Amino acid sequence: MQTVKMVISGAVNAGKTEFIKTISEIEVVSTERRATDDTKLIKKETTVAMDFGRIAVGDDLVLHLFGTPGQKRFDFMWEILSEGMLGLVILVDSTRPETFRETNRIIDFFMSYRETPYVVAANKQDRPNAWSPDELRLALRLPTHIKVLPCTANDRESVKLVLLELLDVIMQRSED
Amino acid sequence: MPLVGNIRDFGLSDFLYLVDRGYKTGCLHLSRADEMASLYFDKGKLITAIRKDDVAIVTDLLVRKGKLTPIQAAQATQAQRNDSGASVSQILVNLNLIGRDELQRVLQQHIEESVYLLFGWSEGEFRFEQGQRPELTAPILLTPVPVEHLIMEGVRRIDEWGRIKDRIPSTDMVVKFIEQPTERAKGINLAAEEWRVFARINGKDTLAEIAHKTNMSDFDVCRIVYGFLTAGLVDVLRKPAPVPMLATGRPLAEAPRIKKSLVTRIINRIRGM
Repeated sequence: MQTVKMVISGAVNAGKTEFIKTISEIEVVSTERRATDDTKLIKKETTVAMDFGRIAVGDDLVLHLFGTPGQKRFDFMWEILSEGMLGLVILVDSTRPETFRETNRIIDFFMSYRETPYVVAANKQDRPNAWSPDELRLALRLPTHIKVLPCTANDRESVKLVLLELLDVIMQRSED
Repeated sequence: MPLVGNIRDFGLSDFLYLVDRGYKTGCLHLSRADEMASLYFDKGKLITAIRKDDVAIVTDLLVRKGKLTPIQAAQATQAQRNDSGASVSQILVNLNLIGRDELQRVLQQHIEESVYLLFGWSEGEFRFEQGQRPELTAPILLTPVPVEHLIMEGVRRIDEWGRIKDRIPSTDMVVKFIEQPTERAKGINLAAEEWRVFARINGKDTLAEIAHKTNMSDFDVCRIVYGFLTAGLVDVLRKPAPVPMLATGRPLAEAPRIKKSLVTRIINRIRGM
């Protein structure tokens, strides 16, 4: 059985858990605990370890989805999770510009290790005050070759689209 | 929908960059305590800025500055009422009440100073209303001002590490030019010390090395590079680590080389979900 891994990262409350829950075939293994620091101002329960989802591609191939912890004190988990990953989805809460700097820090972290294929998903596009993907690209100063995609993490079609776009980036770097 | 936030989290210079690169037309409203300001843009360039308690009518401003008489001001105002499509600024020039260059110079100086004061705000709510235009009686520039120039001058007035460190967390970072800075750089005037730093940017030296070579302080170099960065002229990158290692001491594996056939299988699976 071959397994491949994708990582879903982003700032606290960007929607990582929701994103994985929406697409995973299994009940998401999520180690949620009561938040103990300032994240409790944002949500009562926040991810303190990781989320884990799974999509069976066939009898011999499984796609694992890992969500990174959002809080800074769990940064050490990021490099462990990033080992051997196929690609990365960076989720952004499009309604909270106060998280854009943290999002940039996360992108910098992952890109400082190697050229990982990644896309940015502009989550919560169903909210009235969401910044558009084009505006997010400018706010995050992302180069034009990086895909910034509209996303609603609790909508399966939207999550599928993000993953398919990431797979398209991965495909361009894959070998025959 | 308007873009909303706080400049504590998304700074004024960041917003100006967004307006510039997004060719935005509209009004950026800023407020804190009892202070308010409105910056109007046309296709990414500044056309006017109005602060609360400041003169909001161009003729009043010019009379106050001794560039118009009250009679001339009244004449222009009346003419504008008869020509509802033109701004008072344009009418003033059309009636030869003031020269175009002189009007541009006076308004630009006044408007730019209003904007520079806003760079001193460490926090304040912002709201950007797309498509919103100023009143035709406002001090509207005949030639809109590129925002890179405003960013550079505004950043010259920043004297705090905190804001700079948001973008430049370490002096070990390498500075490199973005792919085509030449066109953008045309509208920017650099001071002598900024040229010293500009000339040292080679995509290899760190900020600390540039500081050493120019005999300037780390803070001054970072502040100057912060200006270049915010204006979209340069990028700062972490110096690439020679051998990526995990905290455990093991080397970090390269991204796996994956076969197209396998990616195709995953794509088909997800499409079918």
